[in-house]
Amino acid sequence: MIAVSTLVFFMLRLVPGDPIAAMLADAGSDEARAALTKKFGFDQPVIIQYFKWIWNLLQGDLGTSLYGSNQKVTSILAEALPRTLSLAFLSFFIAIAIAFPAGIISAVKKNTTADHTVSIFAFLGLSMPDFWLAILLIIVFAANLQWLPAIGYAPLSSGFWEWLRHLILPSIAIGTGFSAIIARMLRSSLLGELKSDYMRTAAAKGLSDTSMVVVHALPNAMLPVITVLGIAIALLFSGAVVVENVFSIKGLGRVLIQGILNRDYPVVQGTVLLISAFFVFANLIVDLLYAVIDPRVRYD
Amino acid sequence: MPHLSAETDEPSGAYSLLISRVYDAIRTNLKAKIGLIILVVFLLCAIFASLLAPYDPNEMSMDMMSAPSFQHLLGTDDLGRDLFSRIIWGTQVSLFVGFITVAISMIVGVFLGVWAGYYGGWIDMIIMRYIDLQWAFPNFIIAVYLVAVFGTGLLNIIIAISLAFLDDFARVARSMVITLKEQPYIEAARMQGTSDFRIMFKHILPNSVGPIIVQASVSISYAILGEASLSFLGLGVNANTPTWGLILADGRSFISQAWWLGVFPGFAIMLIVLSINFIGDAVRDAFDIRHTEI
Amino acid sequence: MENNKLIKKAQNELKEAYDFDHRDPLFGLTTEEISGERLSRRTTLRLLAAGGALTLANILPGLRPSAAMAGGHGGGELKCAWSGVGEIVTLDPAKINQVLQFQITSNVLSGLMHIDNSLVAQGDLAESWTVSSDGLSYTIKLREGVTFHNGDNFNADDVLFTYNRSKDPEQSIHSRVIANVNELQKLNDYEVKFTLKKPQASFLTKALERASGRAMTIVSRGALESMGEAQYGLTPVGTGPYKVIEHKQGGSVVLERFAEYYDSGRPKLDKITITPVDGAEPLAAALEAGDVQYVGGNPIPSQLIDRFKSNPDLRVDIKPGPGFQSIWLNPWRDYMRVENFDKPLEELKKEKGFQVRLAIAKALDRDLFIKQAKFGNGYPAHGSINPAMGFYFDETLADTSEQAYDPEGARELLAQAGYPGGKGFPEIKLQTTPNTKRDGLVVANILKQVLGINVVVDPKDFTVGIEEFDTMDYDLRLGGSGGDYDPDDGLVDWMQTTSKFNGRKRDKSKYPFGFYSEAESDAAADAQSLVADPKERRELVRKANRITSDKVTCGFLYHPVDVLVHHKSIQVPDEARIPGLHELDRISLT
Repeated sequence: MIAVSTLVFFMLRLVPGDPIAAMLADAGSDEARAALTKKFGFDQPVIIQYFKWIWNLLQGDLGTSLYGSNQKVTSILAEALPRTLSLAFLSFFIAIAIAFPAGIISAVKKNTTADHTVSIFAFLGLSMPDFWLAILLIIVFAANLQWLPAIGYAPLSSGFWEWLRHLILPSIAIGTGFSAIIARMLRSSLLGELKSDYMRTAAAKGLSDTSMVVVHALPNAMLPVITVLGIAIALLFSGAVVVENVFSIKGLGRVLIQGILNRDYPVVQGTVLLISAFFVFANLIVDLLYAVIDPRVRYD
Repeated sequence: MPHLSAETDEPSGAYSLLISRVYDAIRTNLKAKIGLIILVVFLLCAIFASLLAPYDPNEMSMDMMSAPSFQHLLGTDDLGRDLFSRIIWGTQVSLFVGFITVAISMIVGVFLGVWAGYYGGWIDMIIMRYIDLQWAFPNFIIAVYLVAVFGTGLLNIIIAISLAFLDDFARVARSMVITLKEQPYIEAARMQGTSDFRIMFKHILPNSVGPIIVQASVSISYAILGEASLSFLGLGVNANTPTWGLILADGRSFISQAWWLGVFPGFAIMLIVLSINFIGDAVRDAFDIRHTEI
Repeated sequence: MENNKLIKKAQNELKEAYDFDHRDPLFGLTTEEISGERLSRRTTLRLLAAGGALTLANILPGLRPSAAMAGGHGGGELKCAWSGVGEIVTLDPAKINQVLQFQITSNVLSGLMHIDNSLVAQGDLAESWTVSSDGLSYTIKLREGVTFHNGDNFNADDVLFTYNRSKDPEQSIHSRVIANVNELQKLNDYEVKFTLKKPQASFLTKALERASGRAMTIVSRGALESMGEAQYGLTPVGTGPYKVIEHKQGGSVVLERFAEYYDSGRPKLDKITITPVDGAEPLAAALEAGDVQYVGGNPIPSQLIDRFKSNPDLRVDIKPGPGFQSIWLNPWRDYMRVENFDKPLEELKKEKGFQVRLAIAKALDRDLFIKQAKFGNGYPAHGSINPAMGFYFDETLADTSEQAYDPEGARELLAQAGYPGGKGFPEIKLQTTPNTKRDGLVVANILKQVLGINVVVDPKDFTVGIEEFDTMDYDLRLGGSGGDYDPDDGLVDWMQTTSKFNGRKRDKSKYPFGFYSEAESDAAADAQSLVADPKERRELVRKANRITSDKVTCGFLYHPVDVLVHHKSIQVPDEARIPGLHELDRISLT
């Protein structure tokens, strides 16, 4: 993580464009400019700025935004995080809710129409750009049918239904690609399990189909799925960046892009750090899950 | 880690085996055949764009935001430019960027991975530290960040995406090499005094192409999607070249007056990625590799 | 179109306003006239004129018969969309750098003065005032019994606090506005005295004014201390007709009627919600679905204007906008090189660099541009003086200017310069912002069609672009100015050698001047700033304008329009319609 933060900090300094100019637009005088430069410490050598940043970081202070009302980065991220989390959570939930039944059905009913239909949809879902799906959903549901809002976000506090209404379209947009991967993974791993010896034993013992699949094959089939999960979470984050943009949801993705455009170094540093921290964390959980579920795998 | 069932110490043998396997894989799979046809059509569009496109993609007219018609097969955009022509020309960037970035990423990533895997020790440590570092970020986010640093433009996009996808190739290559280097025939070659370089690239590598090709087929579709997403976010090639992501982004402000601007470019992206996925899937099946990678 | 009688009356008022000796520190007025509890219309006009801020556009609205405004407050709730912006970054007057932010702040905070719809300068937080005969001292009696939204009492300490804050360049970016103030004294709890360094006509009408002032928009000392500056930027506390009850960064601003506002006749609405909406489609969707009833903020995307006009539920009011946009040409690029603009036009026309420059300007098919890029909403520009400046605008320039659209002439010039049909001409870049990329594409296309030259559109983020503009690091650039209500805004800010936008940060050893430098137009622009007689001023303004047009200071492109869109159920009195601002406290629901 230290290396990560170093890389982020120095890379940013290479980005052209002057944050002070952004702050002043063209309403400032030379004195104002000099004063602001001093205030934000840009007149000091880069190395010193770096160490100051690390020092603050260790104390939980991510610095102050250079832009607008100069909020603390931590509070900006605190605002944005719940939105992205809600979105990620809902996308994940929708994806799993679709992927599991789909994967199971297509494995069990292998090579039937059902299987092929699921397969086609999975391919389509994989191949569709998430922002395109988002736009299509907007055209159909928001512009034409006017069932759902086209933009914005409503926090849980304003009611579950409002919250859901605003998030459902973007979640579908992000979740589709994700669910396609999971469904296919589940299908192939389940097929593998179903073919194996112990399953034949179980069939011979007279266990019902359902119990065979769900109780015995499924848990073992989960392993490869969980591996994939970790990598697929990357898709959730990347998807969020673009889809948040389409729906004007002010989550982490949006904050990141805006920060880059505004040359708002503290914000970009903080956001990238946070996103990567989450990503690392999520993958850690996946690894642990893997170790827990499969007694054959031991951590060394 | 499963590997090719027929290892040989003849590199050329391994490569021709590879090609015939791929060929068989596609030939026997309906979806892959469809995918190939679609891909070829797009390829032709890219190569013969100037012949196939009825209009110049940047030619503006007063016929702004007109619906699909005989004159303009897919309609026109807000500046009166023909959408069909723009989509045909957009094929060039999508295919070019998609393939070139993966090629570069593959070459560099595999090189790094093989080096790290073969030598181990501190070389391995340094390279893997970096790879792990990069692995801590979702690939697309890396690409976005790199574009912010380097700027936009075709060259920068290619560099950004190539770098962003390095980690996948390096990891695959490295794990293959680690498994393979213990093989007896490698030991034998070493004892014969073959140089490390020859061993790495003439013996080990050809036998590990399987997973690498699989990774490539996956990465190509993400590279194409990545370029489209970057274009969409305004971080794409440039304002004058019609890339599909750009057409979608520009069309967003006019969606309710011209739905075709939001539908067709995205459809093109989906088709191309779909065709690559079909082909890739067949290739994957052929190498009998379980889907442990994405 | 305006009634002829009204125009005549307005012109008379204008003439009278400008009729004074500019050496008079009190601008031809008496101390009694400038002091008091309000300034008469005549006095306000005189001060505006003396400060160089008076045009027909200001005068006319006040003369029109206005619909009787309902007394008392009618109540109700208004939902607004603020166009073209993703978030309202700050509402702190000391940090505001976008007009769209000030549109909101001017309804939450008060100034000392307020110029109302009929151009009568009333005291806002000032109850009455006297001006010394040397025009240097302003003694102001503050209104008593005024409270801030948080209950604090307003008094002289707040004025002092605001003054000190604004004067400090580290805290406020508008410190220059009060640079002329030598000292501010507190005489007692409700009386303060400003002492100026030099007589300044615009002191009462601009520096202290609620809407245009900014530097003296009174902030709450108590609130700033207790909530901190960052929070204050989101939810400022003031003495204005509305208080901010909710605003999270990136979210909507919710305003609520401040019941203890000192003027019981305002505001008329109970609650206003202002939501930033970035993107043309979401804005249209929200307005058409009735989610919002009023649009403020940045200019509305032009493709939506016709759509709104044809919607029977919406009212669209279009006025010529105060501003201009041009294609700026870098005279230091070899193919366009002009090292000396001071030669007579005929001689300049023999130089290859100037021929290219003029060719590009002549090739601009402004009508086509407005049709394609702006969907017909705009006015062709041939100079920086825009139609909103009414009196000063020169309609004949469109026909007589050297820059008038003339494709044949343009091609001929380019051929003379050595690039017949564009052959051999290098590929050049046209710098735009991401928002004006579309406009740039249209211009590039026009130049290609007419001249055969290749222009590549290069959208750059504003911060990067403006730096390149200031350092003369560009080929062509699309840009210009917004709120120009007075010839000074156009001429002095842009057309002169010393203009603040004219290559301010360039390397002076490489580039003796920025994009343009010419002695005669410089002199005319300087002179018009000081002249009292409006007719004389108009001559000078037109002279400067003509020279800058003929000698191609830049390729003038178009004057944008100012569009106000709202639901038909919203009453927006004509006078509340100051282009660029939104007087939310005068709006009511039917």
